[in-house]
This record gives sequence, structure tokens and C-alpha cells, in this order.
Amino acid sequence: MTDAAGALSPESQAGTTQLRGFRALEVDLRLFGMVAALVAILVGFGIATGGRFLSPVNLMNLTVQSISVAIIATGMTLIIVSRNIDLSVGSIVGVVGMAQVLLMTQIIPNAIGYEHPATWIIALVAGVLIGGLIGAFPGGIIAYVGVPSFVVTLGGLLAWRGVTFGITQGVTIAPVDPVFRLLGGGPRGSIGGTASWIVGIVICVAVIALLVYNRRRRRQFGFALRPRWAEAALGVVGCAIVLGLIYIANSYLWPPALARQWSQQTGLPIPEGGIQSGIAWPVLVLLAVTLVMTFIATRRRFGRYVFAIGGNPEAAELAGIDTRWTIMKTFILIGLLCGLSAAITAARIDGATLDLGAGYELYVIAACVIGGTSFAGGIGTIPGAVLGALVMAALSYGLSFIGLVGPIQDVVAGIVLVTAVGFDTVNRRRTG
Amino acid sequence: MSIRRMAAFLTIAAIAFTACTGTTPSAAPASVAGPSAVTPSVAPSPADEFVVGISWNNYDQPRWACCDGPGIKEVVTAAGGRVIETVAANSNEIQLSNIDGLIAQGMDVLILLAKDPDAMTSKLAELKDLGIPVIGYDRLVDNPDVFYLTFDNQGVGRIMAEVITGLVPKGNYAVIKGHSQDPNADFLRAGMETVLTKFPDIKIPAGCEDYSDNWNTENAKNNMTACLAATNNDIQAVLSENDSMAGGVISALSDVGLRIPVSGQDGDIPALNRVALGTQSVSVWKDSLQLGRVAGALAIQLYEGKALNELVAPDTIAAYAKPPLGSAAVEFQADKNKVWSITLNPNPVLIANLNEPIESGWADGVVGAGKGKAAVCAGVTDTTAVPACG
Repeated sequence: MTDAAGALSPESQAGTTQLRGFRALEVDLRLFGMVAALVAILVGFGIATGGRFLSPVNLMNLTVQSISVAIIATGMTLIIVSRNIDLSVGSIVGVVGMAQVLLMTQIIPNAIGYEHPATWIIALVAGVLIGGLIGAFPGGIIAYVGVPSFVVTLGGLLAWRGVTFGITQGVTIAPVDPVFRLLGGGPRGSIGGTASWIVGIVICVAVIALLVYNRRRRRQFGFALRPRWAEAALGVVGCAIVLGLIYIANSYLWPPALARQWSQQTGLPIPEGGIQSGIAWPVLVLLAVTLVMTFIATRRRFGRYVFAIGGNPEAAELAGIDTRWTIMKTFILIGLLCGLSAAITAARIDGATLDLGAGYELYVIAACVIGGTSFAGGIGTIPGAVLGALVMAALSYGLSFIGLVGPIQDVVAGIVLVTAVGFDTVNRRRTG
Repeated sequence: MSIRRMAAFLTIAAIAFTACTGTTPSAAPASVAGPSAVTPSVAPSPADEFVVGISWNNYDQPRWACCDGPGIKEVVTAAGGRVIETVAANSNEIQLSNIDGLIAQGMDVLILLAKDPDAMTSKLAELKDLGIPVIGYDRLVDNPDVFYLTFDNQGVGRIMAEVITGLVPKGNYAVIKGHSQDPNADFLRAGMETVLTKFPDIKIPAGCEDYSDNWNTENAKNNMTACLAATNNDIQAVLSENDSMAGGVISALSDVGLRIPVSGQDGDIPALNRVALGTQSVSVWKDSLQLGRVAGALAIQLYEGKALNELVAPDTIAAYAKPPLGSAAVEFQADKNKVWSITLNPNPVLIANLNEPIESGWADGVVGAGKGKAAVCAGVTDTTAVPACG
């Protein structure tokens, strides 16, 4: 590797070209377009409600509402990219959520005692592992037996919902452990003002470090460099966006009633100017999942294999990729993510119902598709899927917020979905 | 929430496109096949045996397995009869073939909870020709030959509103309604309205009345959250149409530190627990064990050859469930026809009468024998305030 780089460098150093103008920023235009669409939707609702929609509390609400779907969508992207589909995610969320709450309300208290401090972590880890195991099962059938994923996971959609019913005979169980509940967000489930600034600064430093590192690597391998102004612009804009979002999150103060309650419980006075909510715990989880999944998808061999299989399965197999094991791993991965998503959903509603996660498969697939994942395979990005989930949550929350109820809401949402994907399809055809 | 609906079309389209497996799409989405979703293929019973067939629409709520079914069985088997249960997993086709199976097994009376009563029209005509009487259980079948046995559904909304307005006679209300395409959601709302019109100082702010798809807890929480954001948390009471949505509502309220009166319906165990803990004011409870027992008694009367207008509810059922209009069948004006009906009384469960769902065996029936009271009373420390938990 070093040899090759060394051999290349003199020549390419000389020939190093710099991109000019806007292209120098090397912004992913598709992703940029999606962000623009999201902003347009938010601003549109903002105008329709005289600005009330853009209040920090609304922005936090709709973000938290998108998270369960967004987390699974990061895994679904890899599944769809490799030309498969998973219709069973909603039912897996249901069965894992029910198992987690059952662990917290009955099994763990019986084993190690009521309100044990380790309750939440046992339930969380067990849930995620159960999800992975559940995912391995259809994954194995699809990869090694060769049954189409559509059929296998359609079976899963029915069967796992039945298992969920079987666990408690359809009875709703509640409540979840108090620490576990933090995963559901809300003012109490947020990390507070100071911690949020720290997170913001850490992300900011990471963005700059990444830019510096990439520039060094590019020089090392003799790739085209961005002009200095472009690097600086990316760093400044990136940091400004991150810190701006933190500022918005921090400007949501605990509602007075909640602050009074907290003050009574802890005996502490309410700080001057109120208590800042900051970033919700589930948002941090989603952030971590997005980073890890993006890393896996773009920087790890597994991720490359998935895209290679999606691009051309036969070629991938002939190239020596263990396609079956790779496919099975994508299903284990989505199972793990379903476990995590189930925890967040159960925490949000403070319990588990029979219909926990019902219909998620449709939401998740729609998020991936809106996010630019192609059903033909080989194309798709993790951040796109997360943005897709946000777009849908924004639409759903916004339509409800402006008072469009019931059937009209369905019609509007349907038109917007098809328009969004249609626009993207036409755009892709034009640009190639 | 609405995106789910729309996305459902996507998937069903996808099913049609890709699979072509012959699966009925209507059976596919998130339906639960109960213990006997498939038509039982047992040999026809001897002609002299008294057989009651039940055709459930689904087994999605615990009530069918815990209470309605056992209530019917208890009465019918005591009279020497036999009950065969079938579950249609929310599919009209499955329900029709279930009924065919029951006919083949020599059923004498059918207890029917129709997925879609209109889809049953020709089957009901066939049953009439066969001389098999039908009891429409819990859901109206607009057909003069079908008896209508139910709880006073319009009364449920009225009772909820009465309890909550009794606690909060003025201020901002939120109304969290059920599934937009379920007529019950609007029945309940209409019942509420009969009470709310008497309180001019009660307002429902914009953004505080919405349907929650599939009566889903998460959707209800999202609706409540949006309402709180729209009003800057200025809400004094919430009318939630059932208990599982009340769970989402109360979670949203506690997120912002509010503790205000909330209604619910169904007598779900977590909801009864919330009543005990004081976070939910009322759960309007339809004791389906009593409904099942009445259905069993009516089936026996029909087997004995009584006509629909001669049916009488037994006086052995619990006092709180006794028909408000009297035990004898009365005529009910449905959209098209007059049908004979008996209507049981829904029971608002408050802290004061929390003992009723515990003592009737309802709580045990849902969570398991001997565990009902503990589940309802979980976390209650002050038993003088909650006598039922003492």
C-alpha cells in the first residue's frame, strides 16, 4: 500500500487538481436536496401556523417521534440494498418490546428484587440480543435455504405478532423501569443544557478533526484536495448547524408544572430562567446508531460486500464474497436494531401493548425509499434513510398540528410521499 | 400516523406485485390468528346434541379469551350443551368459512361478532333457511332476524363525560378519539357531546381533538403531545375514548408534569392500576363476562324454541351490568331495520368501586388466577385512600 502510494505520489502531486466553485464543497446533492425538502416542510408548516410549529417543543416532539422508525431504517437500507426486504420488523418490535417490559415488570423483580438498579440495562441488553436472535432465524432461511425474503418475513410479520399475543394473551403490561423510561425522551428523558453543550462541542471538534484527517489522507494518497476556503466553509457551517441545533434543544425549558414537581421531589430550588431540556436520550441513541451504521456501510468490508451483492449478486459471488453469510448478517443486524427500537418505543409509551410497533414495516420501508434507497439494489445511504424518517414524522406531526384530521390527513400524506419519491426518480434519471 | 395507512397500500400493492402467492391480502396485515383461526374439521355432532357456535372477528384483545368466551361456555355447558369457538383473524373470508364449518358440525345457535356485518348478508339468509338463529354479539347486524346483544355503547361516551365534567366543569379539554374508520369512535364522541353541550365554559382548543389510528397507544401519545404543544400545556382534562390510548395520554401528560383527570374505557388492568394510583379518573368497564353469560342464556332460550322477541336476560348477572331498559328484549331502531335487542349497562370504575372488577373475577381472568388484585393494586401505598386494595 505504501509502495503504491509512494510510486503514485510524485506524479499525482504534480497533477493534483482542485475542484472549483460550489463543487469544491463536494456536497452530496441528493442528501442536500433531502435536507432542503425537510426544511421546506418545516417552514411550510411554520408559515401555516404563524410560526408556532417551529417552537423548540414541536421540533423536539417530531424528532423523538421519528426515532423508532429511523433506527430500524438504517438497517433496512442495507437489506434493501442487497435486494431483500424485511416485512417483519414491526412484529419483531412488538415481541421484543413485550419481552422487555415483561422482564422489567415480572421476571427481573422476581429474580433480583423490585426496583433493582440493574433492571433497565438487563432488559435493554436482553431485548437487543433477543432481536438479533430473532433476526438470525429468517436470515438463515433466506440466505442458506434460498426462500425469498418477502415470503419469509411475511411469515415473520404474522408469526411474531402471534407470539407477542401469546406472551401475555394480548394483555397490556406496564410500567417500565424509571431509568429505562429515559430512553423515551421528553423533558425528563433529556440530558440537560450543560451536557448538551458538551455534546455539541465534542461533535464540532470531531467534524473539524475529520476534515483535517481526510485532507491528510487525500494528500497521502494523492487525491484531489478541496481548496482551503472550502474546507474552512465546511467546518464553520457544520459547527454552526450542530451548535444551532443544540441551542434550539436548550431553549426548550421544562414546563413549569414539571419543574415544580421536580423541585418538590428533590428539595432543590428551580434555577433562574428554568431548566433546560437539551438533547433527548433517544436522539443521542439515534446519532450513535447512524454513525456506527454509516461507518459499517461505507468503511467496513461487510458494508462493501452488501453494496456489491446489491449491485450484481452473481458478480459478487464469483468475486469470492460469502454472499450467504453476508445476507444473514444483514438480518441479524436489523434484528438487533429492532430490539433497540422496541426499547425506545416501550419507554415512550411506558409499557407494552399488543400493537406495539404495528405497521412499522411500512413506515420503515417508506423512510428508506424517501431517503433514496433503490428497490433495484445497490443504491442507498444510511443518513438518507434517517432523513426519510424525519420527513415522514414532520409530515405526520405537522398535519395533525394544523388540525387536518382523519381521512384528509391520509390523502395529503399519500400525495406527498408519491410526489417526493417521484421527484427523486425523475431527478435520478436526468442526472444518471 | 396517517402515513401508516398510506404505506399499507404500498405494501399491499407490493404483495400483489411480487408475491402472487395466493395469500389473501386482507388476512396479511398484522392480524393475529387465534387458537382456532382455521375452521375446525371435526365430524358432525350427533343430531340430538345442543351445540352453540361462536364466530369471533379476532382475538386481538384479551377480553374474548378471558371473559366473553368463558362466560358463554359456563352457561351453555351447565345446560348440557357444547360450545365451538372460531376466530376469523379480521378477515371476512375466513369468517364465512368458519361459519360453514360450524354449520357442518351441527350448530344449533350462532353467536356472531361480525368483522363486517354487510359481508354476512347472504350467509345470514342461508342460516335463516337452515333454521339456525343468530345472536349479533357486541356489534350491530342490521337484520331483523338477528338478535342484538351489546353494552350501551352510546352510553359509554356519555358516562365518561359525566364523570370528567363532574371533576372539571370548566376549562380546556382534549378529546382523544379512536380509529377514524371505526363507527364506535364517533358513537362515543356523540355520547360525550350530549354532556359537553351543558357546559358552556368547557372549550376544546384547536389541535386538541384527533383520531388515533387503530386506537394505538403511541398514536394517542403523539396526538396528546401535539395538543399540549399547541396550547402551551394549558389543558385541564382529557376525554380519551379507551384505556390503551389513555396510557399514551397519561404518559404525554406526565412528560410535561401535568396530572389532570383522564377518562378511559375497557377495564384494562394497567388502567385499573392507574385508577388505583390516581393518574386516571375513570375506566368505563363493560364486564364482558356478564355479556357472555347473557349470550349463553339467550342461546339456550333460542334452542328451546323461543322467538327473538320472547328472549329475556337472566337475573343472575351482576347488578351493575343489569340492562337499564329492563330484562326483556326491546326493539332497537337500526339504520334500516328494527332489531330485537338487550343492552347491558357499562360500569364506570372509580377508586370507590375498584373492588367490582377485582371481585367479579375480571382481573384474575385477564392476568391469571390469584394475580388480579396484586396487578390492579401494584404500587399502591395508601390503602385507606384505595379501599379495594386494603
